[in-house]
Amino acid sequence: MEFLNFVLILCAGWVIWRRPEKERLAFGLLVVSCLIMALLFLIGTHTSLVPGVNL
Amino acid sequence: MTAPSWNRLRPVVAGAVIALTAVPVGGAVVLGVVFGESPCILCWAQRTSMVLIALVGLFVLRYGPRPKYLGMAVLLGTWGTYMSLRHAALHLARDVGQGFAMPFFGVHTYVWAWVIQWAALAVIGVLLLALKEKPADEEIREPGRLGGFAMVLFVVVVAANALQAFATTGPPPFIGQADPLRFSLNPRHWVWMDEELAGRISLRGSWTIPRPDPAAVDADTDPANGPLAGPPTLAIEAWERITPPLDGRLTDLARDPATGRFLAVTDRFEVSVLDSTLARVEQHVTLDHQYSIDLTPLAGAAFVGDTLAVLATNKSYVLLRPDPDADPVREWRHFRETSGDVVELRRSRFATVRARQMYVLSLAYDREADELITVSVPSTRQRRMVVSRFARGDLTLASEFVPRLGPGLTPSGPDRSLAEYVVTAATVVDGTLYAFSAAYSTVLALDLETKLVTAAYAVPGIERPVGLAVRGSELLVAQADGRVAVVERPEAKFNLR
Repeated sequence: MEFLNFVLILCAGWVIWRRPEKERLAFGLLVVSCLIMALLFLIGTHTSLVPGVNL
Repeated sequence: MTAPSWNRLRPVVAGAVIALTAVPVGGAVVLGVVFGESPCILCWAQRTSMVLIALVGLFVLRYGPRPKYLGMAVLLGTWGTYMSLRHAALHLARDVGQGFAMPFFGVHTYVWAWVIQWAALAVIGVLLLALKEKPADEEIREPGRLGGFAMVLFVVVVAANALQAFATTGPPPFIGQADPLRFSLNPRHWVWMDEELAGRISLRGSWTIPRPDPAAVDADTDPANGPLAGPPTLAIEAWERITPPLDGRLTDLARDPATGRFLAVTDRFEVSVLDSTLARVEQHVTLDHQYSIDLTPLAGAAFVGDTLAVLATNKSYVLLRPDPDADPVREWRHFRETSGDVVELRRSRFATVRARQMYVLSLAYDREADELITVSVPSTRQRRMVVSRFARGDLTLASEFVPRLGPGLTPSGPDRSLAEYVVTAATVVDGTLYAFSAAYSTVLALDLETKLVTAAYAVPGIERPVGLAVRGSELLVAQADGRVAVVERPEAKFNLR
């Protein structure tokens, strides 16, 4: 999944660089990448969402 | 934004994107290729968040500082700060020099991510402060030479990250790993997993430890249901009681073998020294449990020579000493109430290893070894009994062990164990730790040298035991209501030394 996310980010960077008129596409890719990143982190921490220290 | 303002800020944004892309993100790829360092699943998410912040920087370079870009950057910074805190918390409290994976300039990558997220938020704040003109328009902008370089660098570095991610985490549905293998360009060494999907969702995980009530342990009190088969019974020979009224429920009672005085503590932080007949209070204080060290309800008490040691359920302790010359001004910070003749010597915490993430409900003092002793109580997360010994000299852990059954004692079933006992009271005499369990109303005799439970006795008729003391040939079992049962002190069944 991390690989897929980096491909999406790469596409967003490419669009900004070479196809700047497609801003909505690039921003949509940014939003999707943010959501995938958050999902992957939550998967990695779902057995203890809060830091394992004295709060 | 006016042209001069944008021309001034553009190189700042481009420089930030280049620094973010080249150093932590590009540097991470170098660490992987050169040193074989692979990110775990949480590292991947943190690295991704930095890439995304850089990507937002490209948006700003190309389209200007539109509010939605700055809003997205702030969201990424706040989420990244949470991720960094959650991730770094796994390792921050370890011993000196211990961390996860390889440090970078002496600091581990999960902490660097924390610093970078903070820095990103700070940069965004500076940018917002600089935006004094009208909101940005909708034009596509030329990024300039530095901005153009930032875009090229971003695409190259992100492509390298994508390749590393493919090698170490694989294509969907595989995801990153908690303990990643070292990076290799050889496909034979690529291992793709989805093990992070396993396990139940929990807010606090292994830190979900319910705090026990030292005066009301919720447990089966019938000795016949206990984990040991057929323990003999000790009959209650007499009852005594603490005559003076106490503030709160009694949570431990200790006896000084030298003077015969008693030390009583309550769940409302009252500490009282009683005379040998339990009829008169000689000194008393009520601790300010919110001063300095966080004290949960008191659960343990012991005479350590002329020092009074009291212990909270969270293994925080306070050392007191009767002193007729106590300075009331100095002691005001320590005590909510005082008889005026007690000083506080020290307030700190016991640190344990095997008993970590476990509460305690008892405290004992071994005069021969000059050590304080606690016995952990089990929880749904930590099912074991741990005896922890602390040297009196430095009040640091001296040894810890999980007691085992001695010869002649047998479990009452294949899945039964000592971990089912909930020790709420303990005392030491002649190298034997007597520990009273509220669960199954049983007193255990534990040989401190061999670390074996050498005898167990059922004591029916006890309700909410909180304290255990030795008086000659008698064991005194104190209840939360202030009544004290007198039973004959049993000898350890086996001479194992």
